[in-house]
Amino acid sequence: MSAPAPAPEEKRLHPASLVVRWLKIVPQMLAGGIGLAATSEYGGVQRFILFAMFAGLIGALFALVSWWRFLYAIGPGEIVIEKGVLRRRRRVIPFDRVQDVAIERGLIARLFGTARVRVETGGAARDEGELDMVALGEAHALRDRVRPGARAAEAAREAPAAEPVLFAMDGQRLLLSGLFGFSLVFLAALAALVQQLDQFGIVDWDEWVTVERAEAAGRLVTLWATLMLATLIVLAGLAAGMVRTVLQDFGFRLTRTQAGLRRRRGLFTLSEVVIPLGRTQAALIESGPVSRALGWYRLSFQTLGADRKEGGVQVAAPFARMAEILPILAEAGFPAPPPPAAWRGGPRRALIRWGAPWAALALAAAAGAWLIDLRAAIGAIAFVLLGIAALLHWRVHRHAQDADALYVSHGLLRRRLAVMPYEKTQILAVSRGPLQRGLRLATLIVDTAGAQPMRGIRMIDLDQDEADAGADGLHAAFLAARAARKPRARRKRPAKRKPPAGHG
Amino acid sequence: MQPDRIQDEPSAMTPLDPAHVAVLRIRFGLATAAAAALALLAARADVFRALPIPAWLPPATILLLGLAAALLLPVRRYRGWGYKEGKEEIEIRRGRLVRVRTIVPFGRVQHIDVAQGPIQRPFGLGTLILHTAGTHGASVPLPGLAYAEAEQLRDRIRAKMRQDLV
Repeated sequence: MSAPAPAPEEKRLHPASLVVRWLKIVPQMLAGGIGLAATSEYGGVQRFILFAMFAGLIGALFALVSWWRFLYAIGPGEIVIEKGVLRRRRRVIPFDRVQDVAIERGLIARLFGTARVRVETGGAARDEGELDMVALGEAHALRDRVRPGARAAEAAREAPAAEPVLFAMDGQRLLLSGLFGFSLVFLAALAALVQQLDQFGIVDWDEWVTVERAEAAGRLVTLWATLMLATLIVLAGLAAGMVRTVLQDFGFRLTRTQAGLRRRRGLFTLSEVVIPLGRTQAALIESGPVSRALGWYRLSFQTLGADRKEGGVQVAAPFARMAEILPILAEAGFPAPPPPAAWRGGPRRALIRWGAPWAALALAAAAGAWLIDLRAAIGAIAFVLLGIAALLHWRVHRHAQDADALYVSHGLLRRRLAVMPYEKTQILAVSRGPLQRGLRLATLIVDTAGAQPMRGIRMIDLDQDEADAGADGLHAAFLAARAARKPRARRKRPAKRKPPAGHG
Repeated sequence: MQPDRIQDEPSAMTPLDPAHVAVLRIRFGLATAAAAALALLAARADVFRALPIPAWLPPATILLLGLAAALLLPVRRYRGWGYKEGKEEIEIRRGRLVRVRTIVPFGRVQHIDVAQGPIQRPFGLGTLILHTAGTHGASVPLPGLAYAEAEQLRDRIRAKMRQDLV
């Protein structure tokens, strides 16, 4: 493009982004048009086509203007983005504030040989620095210039085979993991769709569901029909999980780069993310009840200011054996979880706090069943079951410590094991509510940087003296780990491997 | 490491400035006044007509309860607070019902604010707020410090802050 650039370095996005923007704008306008055509009494095909052409034109105009007014430049130490049609916004992102640069390629981007570049700074704002889209070569060059730590040596990217592969998923593994991706989200999506259609006047819900129809449906509801429906829903849930998993994790590959771990995945939208090892805060090993029984786990890293879509938690191995996970942990400089004997729980009296609320509710419901309505007994039974679940949960809520890190395991069905090296501590807190004070218990909270969903690593209901001593001990361990790290001049421990006895 | 076990001995901690009690009293009093005024307006508008009570009862109850709270609670709250400035960290305790003891290593402090509200100003008090990169308690407030002391504390902590994030 021979645009008269105001400054020598300022560039426009790839012209293909015009198409993408246009494709984004027009359907939105058309959705309104469908509603208009459906509700208007003069509605008809001609009118709709006219409207569609109009929308297409306006959309093209919008796309052109916003493309024209979007400029970016890579200065000596900063990236400058200038955009806005009426209100110009100029954003300057210094390189040393950049946490990560993500490259994403959707279907259209791949058709045009372009990519979307997202510059993450760890700030809360959305679209901190998004270039949608630039040519692929430009995207890679941009990342190599901007990304912290990554410099000329990143040329190895062109030959990914040169990077050692830490984890990859073949087709068989992908399909197996898809089976565990069972999801009923599609039901919600379906309901939303019906509501949407209702709004646009295509399906009139009130007219559709009449008393006669409901009665007719009622006659159809037999045991068999219910079973069939349940089977159908389960099958659809499995299919949905499978589709989602395949779309997301197709060709999953985790490789080691200089700066961190590079993850590539995706069927239509190929995404490539580097998990910067210097910025990982904690490792999470998660498992569902069935996958755990079969020995499958998911490894992710909580990082500072990485991909905001996943809230700072980056998957490193979505579906792997423990034996595959431990080498990745070691490569990332995390110690392996200690053997079962090293794990400890809180004192037994904590069971009172875990079970008492449910017991109280169950008693109340039982009293209700006796005095008011027998049906409340169902509630009583449910509360008893929930209470039992809480007691079982207490049994698996455990923690361990070794020379390098703190380990906390939480969750009865979906279990999450967090590995936090001592040097990643942000704040330590010991909290005691009224019931905890009565039982001389306390919750020890270790706050880490980065992820929202973690909300700190918690050891719930320790003995209160133990919790206090634990906080002091963790603080001392933090100081010691920091002091030990200092002379190494910010270089991450190079794959400090634990002795093989480290895991059971 | 601190060997002293002080969970239930606030004496080992530095208390807040006693004027903080007065600040809390005024806050309680203002909240009470606002609630009572609202109730009074509601009474004037005959909202309580349906109830078998005289119209002046709800505002009067709110006023009495609020004043009692303003008399009793601030001292309790004040006693719940305390802090201890260590070599590498500051330890802050707060709360009477739910008691929380927080350890903030100086090396983790990203930036520090000293804030002063309109009620704090006449008493010369301020609030020190420590911001970290964490998520659970990303900012830790320490209210009720003499303003000069808050500023000195801020300067001392700032001298010990380190700039590395990870």
